[in-house]
Amino acid sequence: MSRTKITWRRQAMGLTAGMAVAALALTACSGGGSGDKATGPAAAISQADIDKAMTTPTKLTFWTWVPDIENEVKLFEAAYPAITVDVVNVGQGADHYKKMRSALQAGKGAPDVAQIEFQHVQSFALGDNLLDLTPYIPASTSADYVPWVWKQVLSTDGSKIWSIPQDSGPMGGLYRDDILKAHNIAVPTTWDEFATAAKTLHAADPNVYLTNMPGNDMGQFTAMLWQAGARPFGWDGDKQVTINVTSPEATKVAQYWQDLIQAGDVSVDPDFTDTWYQGLANGKYAGWAPTAAWAPVFLQGTAANTSGLWRAANIPQWDASGSPVSANWGGSSDAVMKSTQNPIAAAQLALWINHDPASTLMLANTQFLFPTTNATLTSKEFSDLAPEFYGGQKVNQVFADISKTVPEDFSWLPFMDYAYSAGQESVGKAIADKGDIVGALKAWQDALTTYAKQQGFTVK
Amino acid sequence: MTAADVRLPQGPPTTPTEPVRRRGPSPMRRRENAAAYILITPFVVVFALFIVVPLVYSGYLSLFRDQLVGGTTFVALDNYTRALTDSSFLTGVGRMAIFLLIQVPIMLGLALVFALLLDSGVLYLQRFVRLGIFIPYAVPSVIAALMWGYLYGPDFGPAAQIAKNLHISAPPFLSQNWMLGSIMNIVSWEFIGYNMIILYAALRSIPSELFDAAAVDGAGRVRTAWSIKIPAIRPAIILTAIFSVIGSFQLFNEPNLLRTIAPNVIGIDYTPNMYAYNLAFINRDSNYAAAIAFILGVVIMVVSYSVQLSTQRKERAAR
Amino acid sequence: MTTQTAAGGPTRTGSPLDRPSPPRQRSRRSRAYSSDRPRRSIVLTVVMCAVLLYFLIPLWWLLVASTKSNANLFSTFGLWFSSTNSLWVNIQTVFTSDNGVYLLWLRNSLVYSVTSAVGSAFLATMAGYAFAKYRFPGGNAIFSGILGAIMIPMTALTIPTYLLFANAGLTNTPWAVILPSLASPFGVYLMRVYAADSVDDTLIEAARVDGAGELRIFFTVALRLLSPGLVTVLLFALVSTWNNYFLPLIMLNSPDLYPLTVGLAQWQATAAGGSGSRALFSSIITGSFLSIIPLVIAFLFLQRYWQSGLASGAVKG
Repeated sequence: MSRTKITWRRQAMGLTAGMAVAALALTACSGGGSGDKATGPAAAISQADIDKAMTTPTKLTFWTWVPDIENEVKLFEAAYPAITVDVVNVGQGADHYKKMRSALQAGKGAPDVAQIEFQHVQSFALGDNLLDLTPYIPASTSADYVPWVWKQVLSTDGSKIWSIPQDSGPMGGLYRDDILKAHNIAVPTTWDEFATAAKTLHAADPNVYLTNMPGNDMGQFTAMLWQAGARPFGWDGDKQVTINVTSPEATKVAQYWQDLIQAGDVSVDPDFTDTWYQGLANGKYAGWAPTAAWAPVFLQGTAANTSGLWRAANIPQWDASGSPVSANWGGSSDAVMKSTQNPIAAAQLALWINHDPASTLMLANTQFLFPTTNATLTSKEFSDLAPEFYGGQKVNQVFADISKTVPEDFSWLPFMDYAYSAGQESVGKAIADKGDIVGALKAWQDALTTYAKQQGFTVK
Repeated sequence: MTAADVRLPQGPPTTPTEPVRRRGPSPMRRRENAAAYILITPFVVVFALFIVVPLVYSGYLSLFRDQLVGGTTFVALDNYTRALTDSSFLTGVGRMAIFLLIQVPIMLGLALVFALLLDSGVLYLQRFVRLGIFIPYAVPSVIAALMWGYLYGPDFGPAAQIAKNLHISAPPFLSQNWMLGSIMNIVSWEFIGYNMIILYAALRSIPSELFDAAAVDGAGRVRTAWSIKIPAIRPAIILTAIFSVIGSFQLFNEPNLLRTIAPNVIGIDYTPNMYAYNLAFINRDSNYAAAIAFILGVVIMVVSYSVQLSTQRKERAAR
Repeated sequence: MTTQTAAGGPTRTGSPLDRPSPPRQRSRRSRAYSSDRPRRSIVLTVVMCAVLLYFLIPLWWLLVASTKSNANLFSTFGLWFSSTNSLWVNIQTVFTSDNGVYLLWLRNSLVYSVTSAVGSAFLATMAGYAFAKYRFPGGNAIFSGILGAIMIPMTALTIPTYLLFANAGLTNTPWAVILPSLASPFGVYLMRVYAADSVDDTLIEAARVDGAGELRIFFTVALRLLSPGLVTVLLFALVSTWNNYFLPLIMLNSPDLYPLTVGLAQWQATAAGGSGSRALFSSIITGSFLSIIPLVIAFLFLQRYWQSGLASGAVKG
């Protein structure tokens, strides 16, 4: 599948138009290896240039694993008939990144636009693989997104825009109303209450757990660190990384779950496996907490038989007196690869899909990606939904409110794929083995430090 | 064109199967050489392009280090020395050695027993049995692992269901202590039939003269099997043993798929091959992965050679 | 990067495997004690049927599970049918989900495996014959190299091969799967032993005397004699390419190009994925079940080739 080459006609048009387009067309044709498009604050692309690019027949390749995203792409193609988009699902999560890295490393076969989860944005920025979108999108764009989400797609110094947010996962909790009521347990609002509830419930019915804590989901674990105030990761955008997974806040989280797990009050099945799906469907788990904003709908698909029994709630708090704090688990953005031959069209695709009101609402209400634009979050069509499954509760509203309580200042390492993998081998294994989770934090810290040094970073 | 129709002309048996050779490069000789080169060229080209070139490139890569920051530097044998002190790698190799010492003898032993039973013609339903044991070889390892993953399931696998009805608990097939055995079982299930067919074919081609003496002795079936059949198919047994050694050191598919249902039992370094794969794709350390794979290749060679040498020594001792 | 799952070939250091052996009678019908009709044993047959259960129960489970809905898959007994038969619904789902991509996978698996198998069997036959019948400069060295290469784990070659292919623009094309599968060192080894055994030198000499060229001798005289061995190699290659997972996993990006193994594994990964994933368990199981049917049928029909090809020399000392 060779990418569409820029035609001579298009080059000629570019040369007769403004200088910027001429430069772009030429760098695109020369392969643009020097990356001069992204050095310094590039001049914004004018609307005329955008209009021209969007009316030139172009083929874009878009790698994403969002199911049925073809529908939003069709809307985009209807708005810009000259552009055809080839949507390819090369795999999910890790597989997708493997393929992206291989293609980028080979210098051939990379897509124009690709889905990248928030935690991996910096690692692709490190490889100098991403196009800075600043010149390609209106300056006002940032104001249209939830502030903490927008921060996730910026370069570490905030000067560049690496991708456009698509969906997010503010953390809350989902509980089986019927089971809690049967045991006279109130929905826990603090972690202390949560622990008590977990004990009470499991003592009352040994086959039921208030929640399951998987050992294979470092995304969830990291989000809990985020909520507890730990800031384990950092990167200065160059050679220095911060690694601190053994902070008092992180230790507090590890100790908390270690106590619950070792007491047997919480199950430790790996999540997203068939066993776990069954646990949700057959009432083994009376709750899924902490979980993320994309979970309510996910549950409707996998535990249809429990319809009407679930309720959403805020995430339990460490500090009952302060204002509520949440965190984010999951969520993606769409980035443009620097290697693209059609930066303008690619940037417009990434933006349009995740910014156009019709497209974002469709993503939210048919594919159930939790929105990141203020407009969609507050739109009646989204927040007024009261699904039967949740007994008529307006779950979207619950999570939209939670989204306002996610702290902004959370950053990542430029190698989160390794960080999660090493975390699963240490912390995750300790969870699964009901072992020393606090001690495992140290092992995780050591593994990360060793790796960072091996890769040439200095560790703070 | 079926195999059974091929009739060999009953010529006088020539001892070595080598063409009559002439001294000096006669025109005839040159013609033969040319023909030989023409015949091997297609294979050699493919072999060179898709095995040798990547191999050389891989060897070249293993001499460098490519850091996320700081770029690529030549480090000579650093990656190799690192591998030899890397507990992840060494544990993986050790695990495969255990796997090999337990699984290969069981698998080949069973394959041999089944082949002997089929060969001696004491079974009813011969063809059905032979095919039934061979069928799992047709199942891709991906699907085999998926299937057994369900069968092993702790909550709703058939074994667990049966145990529940009997009010006992099924063994935790997917737990830390059972996992290696569970994988051994999957691999055996897949390959017993394959090895059985190879051994069975070898048994069928034992020349009848070998049995004449046994018949005169009035040796029983078991004794015939032990003292005539098994020695006669020794080469085939060695062949299957070597295949199995190579196969088990390169174990990848089964554990990699079981990882989705037991993510904390099977780590990224469960087998050396998985480790190399994850080093390349998760740690983004292709250079080190190349070195690991090379060392693994050397280990496989050493083990394969020693399998051969030990059997040869036995053979010599027996003479 | 061979596609031999558990097949390689022994290295060659005067191994007993390639001791030249005199041609032997193929048939063992005239075995000394085949005249006394072995007594069949009921006991042994019963024992073997129990053994057979072990080999067939997983497949039975797969068949049963294919008839269940997602919910029944986990709530009913695994080795027996549930009250509702969802087989047709499942099959429909398999063939229609993702715009019928399953059929493409089936087609790809067929194309890749047949092309690779035919190609590698022919290349191996030509080379094996040459190594067996000609003594030419460099022959032994090349042959040893071919056998030695089998020991290298595939992962050693995966990434370099990927990079090389990417630079040649071959990744994400059918060629990326077919070309590396063409080199089957094990096939060459088998064919060498087989050719040494089944092509009589007197025949070659006779043809030479008749004035036939060397290549013509190969294509007219030898190839016919080599065909059982060729078919065996072809079958091995067919199964190993059909079952191959690692190579296409690395090389291919478009689901439209996946073979069945990679496609089904990706469905499995989707089911185990995070947000926005779909639990396709019943489709995965039904898809798996359907995918093994073609090979099982092929086994039923081609059984005798396995045996005859291997028996007539390939595995004997």
